[in-house]
This record gives sequence, structure tokens and C-alpha cells, in this order.
Amino acid sequence: MNPNNFILSCQGLSKSFTLHTIDGRHVEALRGIDIEIHPGEHVALAGSSGAGKSSLLKCIYRTYEPTSGSVFLRLRNGENVDLTQVSDQEMAFYRGRDIGYVSQFLRAEPRRGPLDIVTRAGVSRGMDRETAREAAVVSLRRLNIDEKLWDVHASVLSGGEKQRINLAAGTISAPQLLLLDEPVSALDPNNREAALDLIGDLTSHGVAVLAVFHDLEAMERLASRIVLMRNGQVEMNGTPEDVLKVLAEGVPS
Amino acid sequence: MSTNWALKIESLGKIHGIPDLRSLEDTGPEKGTAKSALTGSIVAAWDVSFEVAPGEALGVIGESGSGKSTVMRCIAGDQGSTTGAVRLRTVHDGHMNVLDLDPSSRRHLRVADLSVVYQDPAEGLRLNVTAGGNIAEALTAAGWRHFGRIRDRAAELLDRTEVPLSRMDDLVGTFSGGMRQRVQLAKALANEPPVILLDEPTTGLDASIAAGVLDLIRNLLEETGVAAVVVSHDFAVIEMLTTRCVVMNHGRIVESGLTDRLLEDPHHPYSQKLVGAARA
Amino acid sequence: MNTPLLQEILGNASRTDTNLDGSSSFKAQTLNFGLLDEYSKREIRRAILTAVAVPGYQVPFGSREMPVARGWGSGGLQISLAIVGPDDVVKVIDQGDDEGVNAVNLRRLIVSSTGIPESTTPEDSTLIQTRHRIPEDPLDARHTLVLQVPVPEPLRGVERDMRELARMHAEADYARMWVSLYEDKVRNGVITRTTGYPCLVNSRYVIATTPIPRWDIPRLHQSEFLSLFGAGREKRIYAVPPHTDVEPLTFEDVPFEVEKTPGAKCRNCASNNTFLVEVLATDVRQSYWVCSDSDWCRRHRELSDSSSQGLMT
Repeated sequence: MNPNNFILSCQGLSKSFTLHTIDGRHVEALRGIDIEIHPGEHVALAGSSGAGKSSLLKCIYRTYEPTSGSVFLRLRNGENVDLTQVSDQEMAFYRGRDIGYVSQFLRAEPRRGPLDIVTRAGVSRGMDRETAREAAVVSLRRLNIDEKLWDVHASVLSGGEKQRINLAAGTISAPQLLLLDEPVSALDPNNREAALDLIGDLTSHGVAVLAVFHDLEAMERLASRIVLMRNGQVEMNGTPEDVLKVLAEGVPS
Repeated sequence: MSTNWALKIESLGKIHGIPDLRSLEDTGPEKGTAKSALTGSIVAAWDVSFEVAPGEALGVIGESGSGKSTVMRCIAGDQGSTTGAVRLRTVHDGHMNVLDLDPSSRRHLRVADLSVVYQDPAEGLRLNVTAGGNIAEALTAAGWRHFGRIRDRAAELLDRTEVPLSRMDDLVGTFSGGMRQRVQLAKALANEPPVILLDEPTTGLDASIAAGVLDLIRNLLEETGVAAVVVSHDFAVIEMLTTRCVVMNHGRIVESGLTDRLLEDPHHPYSQKLVGAARA
Repeated sequence: MNTPLLQEILGNASRTDTNLDGSSSFKAQTLNFGLLDEYSKREIRRAILTAVAVPGYQVPFGSREMPVARGWGSGGLQISLAIVGPDDVVKVIDQGDDEGVNAVNLRRLIVSSTGIPESTTPEDSTLIQTRHRIPEDPLDARHTLVLQVPVPEPLRGVERDMRELARMHAEADYARMWVSLYEDKVRNGVITRTTGYPCLVNSRYVIATTPIPRWDIPRLHQSEFLSLFGAGREKRIYAVPPHTDVEPLTFEDVPFEVEKTPGAKCRNCASNNTFLVEVLATDVRQSYWVCSDSDWCRRHRELSDSSSQGLMT
């Protein structure tokens, strides 16, 4: 693996919050994170809650604005950009085209059905409407969303259904980088299986994945590498076997 | 990419009263007021700059009195400005500051270059005219002279904004608030303007009605590719409709950024207070 | 016939000159030609010149007190008296009729204050003051048509604010006029506006062609004659100069149509190609049609009478 052939490279990424409403308190979420992900690599983030896993995803996606450091992303056209330096408009554009982000929850959507939501996601990735629709159909079938629900407003669907719709929307056209924040937490075993299968497929097609899972089993199954985080820093960065072994022994806290 | 804007605002300022620049010294977020004790003037908006690309929606959020509606009215031409520039891509390819246009040419921009949807539908509509007639006003202003085509286009727009066609020939004054807002949207979109300004478009509507209008606006923004400025005090509206926004406080922009970033990681003390209040 | 009337009207003003016999010397000494003083004429003529220079634009003018009530043709009368010259021949009609009380009074006033001849036939006339009609006979460059206008503002029905009205005209912003036509058509299936139909003059200003019927509208378009509109109460003068476009506002797919009742013809002269008005007969329970232009009707009746006599012999 060519070390320069990364999709994502975070260098010295730090994030701190100043809470003006609480006496100007200072909170450090990330302290100098260095991490690289290559095409087709699935990196899982591990660590206890509050270790900074979600913060890292949000800093990359710029839902949090990093305080210092760089986030280099290789774009589809092969160009490298530092996401901490691009304009908001450019960031919005890269979000649409190059980065997929699947969070635990479905973002507030208007009265739209799953098919419509996923199709629109495809269109925003630059697919034409017909292609996007076909891809949405495939994706929804694969994630076992009952066809009868395809035009039902998503707001009335169950948490598990919403999560799968979210996943379908985030993965409809393979992004350069896929960020996953507990994408299967609300799914029953069968649907969880289908979802993990879908994610695994993307990795094999060259997508770089950075994921947070709430269970070790998913990590074990999908991750090509695990980064163990603690207190906003990288504690360990290694093969799943090595890291899981440490985890099994119990992380000193 | 940064040059691909449909609307660009540069250092827009509006001072009520004597436009004495000393008023700037003791007003603004740090001073906690927009009214200058030195000059007695009110700095309703100052140094407001942003740009909006085609297909993009920009939010302007703040409490009442923050200057957000002033900014909108200065862009729309409903109110004069003290200083700054407003540029539209469709007017001399953006080389013209439309604030320099004579009042007549300025008003003419409202035909097809720039539409406004007001909080109060009575501002954007004539209540003693039918729904179809209100749209006909926009179309005839743009030179439409074919009755059949005007009818067809009005019906198409009302259908698109989910107004029952059976009500097309009813006076707008007989409509409910939500329905009036839909007609106002239909009228605003009649001539496919490249830029639309929405001022508190769902404020004052019942929650369930507001949700429906909000859904509609979001769909229309996505489908038309119009550049939109959404002015609201309500984060739910801004979150639903916009990708970027600016936060205004005492006439100044205190922070700008991607909307989800502003909601999850607000920096300025005022933004944090605003978000905290919305999340509470 | 002129002097007694004038003395009657202006008796008080001329009482000091008791020795006058009502001849032309009376007018020369006491009254100006055309009643108005020269300063007033000049002001009105200036307004007229502006109106001609900017076709369709409503020029404000200082409307005078006239010996007729405002709203009874005082605007038209001021125009007539300001432009009348010694070589003119005047015709005055009201609803197409030379013998209407109002027409007679106004004609007498013009004639008695100027001494010019009068006529009922357009052919012999040069100055035609009218309310409600344009004569059926073709007019030409010799003629000046003076129309008495009650409501000069075509947008009055859609806007009452004077400043907004001024703005709308200044910016040629007539969208709301179109909306009123649109709503008329939607509500009634046709555009019901009959008299005073709004027209675009010289592709610029919308005027009220008040209160002539639609029938007469096409005759204003690219006419040979000058039309001057005077509103005394509203203090406005506007004009349609010769060879000027006058287009009735109408939708591309809704053709402008003039009044026409199938099968109707004049009971007196049998014409079916003039503007006819319906008369309700009180004795019999039915109505009949007659020409609105009484002079035209009379002449054509004589013509058909003589031709039918000719046939009999």
C-alpha cells in the first residue's frame, strides 16, 4: 500500500470548545489526531464514550470546526484538499459529492417517502434522476425496506427503518470517503446483517470507511484496522486482532 | 466556484437617523445595543456581506431587532440602504450595484430577477383579487398577454404549491393563512426568478400548517435551483431549509458557517445562547 | 341667436354696459373671443401642446370655473374655447345627438362667444365637441375632436392612491389593469367592459377612452384627426394625435370586439352598420333600435327616402 495514496489524512487534528454560556469553560475534545485511511480500507474507531470518536467524524465532516490541524481529502478528480481550509460553499459541495455521512439518526426530512429520500440523495451526488431511482430501489430492497413503505412519510417509520433509509441515502453512489456513526445501532439481527453486508461491499469497491460501531462484533467483521481512542487522542492504531485483544483485556481507564 | 453566485451582498449598512459613522462606535453585539447614545441613530444593519449560489439556500438567523429583516428589505428594495452593494448575476452580470439603480429600475427587478415571500401574505398578495389573478399580475408584469396561457401557468403554479385548483378563482382574502402563503409562493415563483427572499415564511402559522408549508418550500428550493435567502428567528426553519447561515445580533453578523456546524458547534457567545435556547 | 343667450348667462357681468345692443361690438368691448381671457387660453393651449407631444399622458391644467357645472362638459368646453378660431365651424353632440339639451347649450355658448357658424354635419364642421360618441362619418385632418371626459384615470378602478397612480403611469406598470381584465374574463366569461375601454396609446400610456363605446375605439387608431380629451372636474387634458397607435388592451387569444347585436337595424334609416342604441317603447311591450348618431341617421333616411321615391317614379 502506497503511503501517499490516502483518501483521508488527518494531521494534528484538535478540537476544543469554549462554552460562553457556562463561564467560558474550555473543553478539549480532540488533541492532535493523526490518522490516514486508504482506498478500500475500513478503519473502525474504538474507545469508551467521550473518547472523541464522534467528534473526530464531525471534525472531518466539519459539523465541528477543527481548532487546529488539517484534514486532507483526496477528491474524485485526484486532487487533494484540506477540508479545514475550504470555504463553506466548497465544503457543502464536497459533502454532496465526495463524502458520505451516515449518522445514528435521520436528519429532519420533509414529508417524503424512503424512495424519494434515497433518490434525491443520488441526484445530489450527480446521478441523473432515473439512475438514482434505480439505485435507490436496489438499495432499499437490499436493506429489506418493505416496498409498501416506500412512499410513506419517513417521519412515521420506526427507528430501525429510518436508520436503514439513512444508510441507503449515504451509500447510494459510492463516495470517496464514508463516515459512519453507529449506523446499525437500532437494527434487529437480520437487518443488521444486510446493513453490514452493504458496508462491506462498499469497502471492497474501494471506498475508504471511517466508522464508529457500538459493538465489537461489527468491528471484527468489517474493520481492516482499528484505531483505539482515549481522551481525545489515538491510543492505539493497529490490526483488528491486536486492538481487539487489548480491548478484551480491558482498557485501563 | 466562489464566483458562481446569483446574489452577492457587500458591506450592506442601514442607519436610521443621522448616518453619522460615530454611531458605529457604541453599537453592535459587544455594546449590546443597536442604538447609539452618541448620535441617537439606530444602526439597524452594518457591514453585512454574504453571497448565495444558484440552488443554494442561505439562512439569516437572529432575534427580532437583530437586523435580519432590515437586511432582507434592503436587498428587496423595500427600504433604502445607507451603504454597501447588492449584486445580482442577472443585472449586468453582477457588475452593477443595484442600490445605484433608479427607483423605477429597482422596482422592475421584482418582476423576474428577485422575488420576495413575506411573513404576512397581505404584503405579497392582493387579498381582494383571486388566487389566479394574483399570479396573473406577476405574469402580465412580465409581458404575458395570452389569457389561456396565463390560466394554464397559474393553474400549474397553484398545483405545484398544493393549492386546490377549485379555489383558483376565489379571492385570496377568503383563504386560510397557510393557503395564502402557498399562493404567495406560487406568485413569487411565477416568473422563475433566479433569487428568492423568504422572510419568516412560516411564522404565525399553526405548527401543523407550518410544517406543510416548510416541506413545500424545501421541495421548491430543491426543484427550482433558485438561490434563496431565508430569514428566520427559528432554527428549525433554518435547519430544514438551508445549508449555510449567518447569525445576526444588534445589526451585525456575529458568525457564519454551515448550518449544521452552527447548530452543533456555535462559536460566538450570542450564537451559543441562541442555540442553547432553541435546544432547551 | 347668440346674443340674448349670452346676455342671459352673463347678464350681471354686462349690466354696466346698458347701451350695448348685443352686436359684435358688445363682445369686442366686454367679452373676449371664446369667453376665456388670453392668459387662460394660453395656459390651456400649453397643456394641450404637452398632451399632443406626449400622447396619452394626462396633463394637469388649471381648470376654470365655466358657465356650466363641472362634470357637464366643462373640460371639453375649455379646450374648445381655447383652440377655437374665427374660421372654425362647430358641431356639438351629446350621446350622438346634436339636439340634446346639453349639446345645444354648449354649442350656443361657443357660437355666441365667438360668432362662428355651427353645423350638425361633420362634413361642414372643423371643431367637434362630443360626449359619448365619435360621429359615424369618417373624420379627416380638418377635424379636431374634443371629448368631454368625466373620469380620465383608467386605473381608478384598481388603485386610488394618487402617488401610486402616478408611479404606475410613469413606469408603464399596467399589470393590475391586466389583472382586472383577467378577473373580468374569469368571472363573466367575456370582458364586459363597454364604455371607456382602456387603450394603450403610442405603445406607452394607457388612457380611459371614457365614455365612448367600444364601437368607436378602432376609429381612434391611426386616425387622420386630432383627438383632445378634457376633464374639467379632474383637471386633466390628454390627447391622441393623428397617426397614433391606439390599441385596446386585450389578451392575444381574446379578440377585441365592438358592440354588435345580430339582426338589429335602425328603425329610422334601416342601417345595420352603425352604433345602434336600444329604445324601449312604452306603449308596445317591445324595444327597437335606432342610430346613436342622429345626424347621420337623418341624412341617411333622406337618402333612402329620395332613392325610394326615385324608384316609385
